[in-house]
Order: sequence, then C-alpha cells, then structure tokens
Amino acid sequence: MSISETYGRYRRALGEEPLAVVVLLVALWMAWTLATGLMTGGIQVSSLASQVWDGLLRGLIIGLAGIGLSMTYSILNFANFAHGDYLTSGAFAGFATSYLIAGFGESSIGSLLLLGAGTSVTGAVIGVGVTTSPLAVIGGAVVAGAGTIALALAIDRFVYRPIRDESGIVLLITSIGVAFALRYLIQFVFGARTIGTTLAGSVPQVEVVELLNNQLIEYTARETAVIQGTFRVTAHDITLIAVAGGLMLGVHLLLQRTKLGKAMRAMSDNEDLARITGIPTERVVRTTWILGAGLTGVAGYMFVLWKGTLGFNDGWLLLLLVFAAVILGGIGSIYGAIGGGIVIGLTASVSVIWIPASFSRAAAFVVMIVILLFKPEGIFSGRTTA
Amino acid sequence: MSLLEVRGLDAGYGDLQILTDVEIDVDDEEYVTIVGPNGAGKSTVMKSVFGLTTHMGGTIAFDDEDISGTKPESVIHKGMGYVPQSSNVFGELSVVENLEMGAYILDDIPEDALREVYDRFPILKERTDQKAGTMSGGQRQMLAMGRALMLDPDLLLLDEPSAGLAPDLVDEMFDKIDEINGTGTAILMVEQNAKEALRRCDRGYVLSNGQNRFMDEGAALLNDEEVRREFLGG
Repeated sequence: MSISETYGRYRRALGEEPLAVVVLLVALWMAWTLATGLMTGGIQVSSLASQVWDGLLRGLIIGLAGIGLSMTYSILNFANFAHGDYLTSGAFAGFATSYLIAGFGESSIGSLLLLGAGTSVTGAVIGVGVTTSPLAVIGGAVVAGAGTIALALAIDRFVYRPIRDESGIVLLITSIGVAFALRYLIQFVFGARTIGTTLAGSVPQVEVVELLNNQLIEYTARETAVIQGTFRVTAHDITLIAVAGGLMLGVHLLLQRTKLGKAMRAMSDNEDLARITGIPTERVVRTTWILGAGLTGVAGYMFVLWKGTLGFNDGWLLLLLVFAAVILGGIGSIYGAIGGGIVIGLTASVSVIWIPASFSRAAAFVVMIVILLFKPEGIFSGRTTA
Repeated sequence: MSLLEVRGLDAGYGDLQILTDVEIDVDDEEYVTIVGPNGAGKSTVMKSVFGLTTHMGGTIAFDDEDISGTKPESVIHKGMGYVPQSSNVFGELSVVENLEMGAYILDDIPEDALREVYDRFPILKERTDQKAGTMSGGQRQMLAMGRALMLDPDLLLLDEPSAGLAPDLVDEMFDKIDEINGTGTAILMVEQNAKEALRRCDRGYVLSNGQNRFMDEGAALLNDEEVRREFLGG
C-alpha cells in the first residue's frame, strides 16, 4: 500500500468520523499524560487509587439514587425533579434520628432533632459514626428510608395523583415546584449552614501503604521525589459498599424473582396490557414510590454519612449527576442507573488528573454526551426497568 | 341468556363516539367473528368489553352480570381473556414470565394450565427463557394467546389474530383457534381476513361505521349477495 493510499484512508476516516477521531486523540493524550505522570511521579499511584475509590463510592450513591429516579420514570412516565430533595429529606430525617440516638441525654431533644441548630452540638461531639454508635447509624438509615417513603407517598397522594393523567410535562414542572418547596422547607427548619455530621477522626481506616509507586520511582531513578503515598479505606466506605450493594442486589432479586417485581416490569413495558391481565396498577404505582423513595432516602443518608457534611442543597446538587447517570445508562433501566452512576462518579473523581477540580462535574457531563453520541439509547439500552 | 350480551352499546374515546347502538351476543362455547371495513369499530367493541374505552350508553353483560364500566384490571376476574391486536406481549419479559403474568390474579402459577399451553404451543416450551420481544410475529401471537389461556377463560377475545403473520402461518393460527374453541372456550374474534373467518366461525357480525349491518351464520353471510358485494370484495 502506497503512502498516498494510506494517507487517503486516514483522510476519509477523518471526514466520515471526525468525532471518533477527536475522541481517540483526546483518549491518547489522556493515556499519555497519565502514563508519564505515573512514571515521573507527578501522579502518585496512591492518589490515583484514592480517586478511583472515591469515584466508585460516589458512583454507588448516584446509582442507588438513580434506581429510584429510573423506576418512577419508567412506571409513572415522568422525570421527577423533586428526587434530589427526597434524597436531602432522607438525609435530614435520618441524621435527626442518629443525633437523637447518639446524643440522647447530652443535649436537649429539640436541639438534637434540629441537628444542633444554635448549639455547639455536632456529629463529632456526640460521636455519630458506624463504629462509635452503630445503633444510631442503623436507626438513622432506617428512618431515612421510611421517612422518605412516607414523604413520597404523601406527595404522590396530594400532588401527583390528581394530575396523573396529564402529560409528562405538567408532572415534570409540578415536580420542580415540589423540589423548591421541599428544599426551602428544609432550609427553613434546619438553616442554610453546612452541618458536620459524623465523627470523621475516629472512623477506623485501613491504610494501604503503597509499594508500586516507590518501585516506579526507583525505576525512573528520581530519588528526589520521596512520596509516601497511602490509600485509605474507612469503615464508612465499607458500610456504604455493603448497604448500597445489598440494596441493589435486593432490587434485582425483587424485580427478577418475585411476582410483584415481574408485575412492575410488565407495567413499565406495556401499561394497557398489564391492566387487562389483571395487574392492579395503582398498587404497582404505590410500590414503585415505596421502593424508589426508600432507596433514595437511604442513599441520601449513606452519602452524608460517608462525606461527613450535610447541607440543604446536597440532593439538588447531586440530582444533575443522578440524571446524567440515568440517561447515560438508558433511562428506565435499573442496571443502567447503577452502571451509569459508577461511570459518572468515576469520571467526576478521576478527571482531576487532567483538568482542574472545579471542572469535574462538567467532565461527567462531557463523558455522558460523548457516550450518548456513540450510543444514543444509553449503555444498557433494551433493558427497561428489569 | 347468552354468555356475552352487548346491548345498545355506545362507546368511544374521550368525546369521540365510535360505536352506536351495537349489539353482540356470544353463547357458551360459540365461535363468533366480527368483520367489516377498516375503521368500522371492530377493535373498539373488544376494547369496550374490557373497559378500555369511554362507556357512553347501553350495557355489556357477561354471565348474567352487568360489567359495563368495570375497570380493565377487574374484567379478567369474570372469566374472559383478551388478546389485543398489537403489542400484545410484554416484550421485556421472558416467555414464561409472560405466561405467569397471564395468571397474575391467582396466588400460584396454575401448573396444569401452563402444561396445557405448552402442549398447545410447543414452540413456547422450547423458548421459555427467551425475551418475548425478540420472537417472530407468529411466535408472539402464540404467546399472547397462551397468556390469555392461562386462566382457562369461558370467553376468549381475539383481535386480528392473523394480522402480520406469514401466509403459511395464517392457516395454522386458525387451526389453533378451532382447537381452542373445540375444548369449550367461546371465541369472539375480529378479523381482517373476513372470508376465512366467516368460513370457520359459527356466527358472524358485519360492522360498518360503528353500527351493526348484518348478522347471520358464517356460511350464510359468505353467500349473501349484499355482504359479498359490499364487504368481501365480490
């Protein structure tokens, strides 16, 4: 093959798939930056590992919250913008409970329930943490789930159900209103401060001292860079993985193995056919809210337990990433929500290797757009709720 | 008293009335077809029986019980099965899950009925775990009928069972319907393939513009000059 032929082929490729070529070039540049960074010690293997770990955990939270969003979308046919504030509500309800259990007797019940508003009570002072007060954490997680379920059912009963036959747009705009109402109600009660919720210092951590990096440094003979990188795994990391993994497995089994779960899949597939086979649609709708809201409430609680701070905007800020994950995975699919959540979480965390940290959210959306350009129906297309 | 008695039915969608004063009877174990041109309201009759349209007047009685205005999810409890014309399987569910959904209203999956469906449609047994959406049109139609038979209904409503089937499958489908009718299930069928349907059925109705036009035994309608000229293409 002559040079001109080869050249012509690449020219054609560039003409036909300009996007693919750009993506390939960016990927090559990223791989090069990463490889040289690791070789020269500019990027520590330990910090890379920490970023991947952080992204994975964040992705599990996004995925868990995404399941709820995806379920309500596929069964109720509307995108619930109040979903993020369900998450916040769950976190506040859960932590009010945790404060009450962990700090009982140390402060007044009122100030504990208000998460220490106007007092010096903080999560660290009363020792909220999975090892210091496991009961408070279990109780908090349960109340976070149950409280969010109660909230979602009440909102469905009084807001969404009366307009269920309206178009998806009406429901969507209504849900934005619900989102604002919830968020500022929370701000009104608990204040706009960022609350330190957990006893971060006392959470046991396993420090994985990193060997690989030192070997690489030796290999490249850069004695000046003495980096003792460590990679920490905390008890809250493990709790998060166990809870999120367990709930995801539970949802999977419910949808695949139980009659109710199959009925939910049937209804998301074809509502009219579900009705003529005798599936009670209102009950399925209620179950969908219960499951979706329960998962979201627990996701909110675990998110706050893991990151250690709580603010009234947390869920709203996470919602865009949750939407990105759900769309990326293929809206309506719970596996898509999980997969999409992990991709989005990893992207947001690991992107700081290449770009400033303040652009990490933007990076998540860029990855979403790029993937959708190649696979418009989402990663897990063809698998709805199931 | 007939098994199904539709009297003076007015029905449609929202404000749009499709059916005017429609009368349909199906006796126990009888095989009845409804034929007529496109837009005659044939499918609307079926949907109305299952509560999927707006009821505007008249009565629908099944087994001596007035079921007009009953919700779709309750009609199946009365002993009727319904195979709609299109998207009549849950594409995302496997074959066996589709059949399980057919028996949703029972506490347990009726093993006998499942075995009977598999005997009647052996292809379904070979493909229990295949996703319904990936099957051919004929297989989906069999699955849809199998699903509707899981509760061993007294009356089976079939909307265009031969639609979209390859020509060599059409006969097979009509044979299956004969068999189902032969085991004591009454059939109310809407068919585009009017001549074949009328040849096979006990009695037929000709519907046009949402109204009854003719009613007689299938063979009689096939031989009727006017019916032939107007509706059967000569």
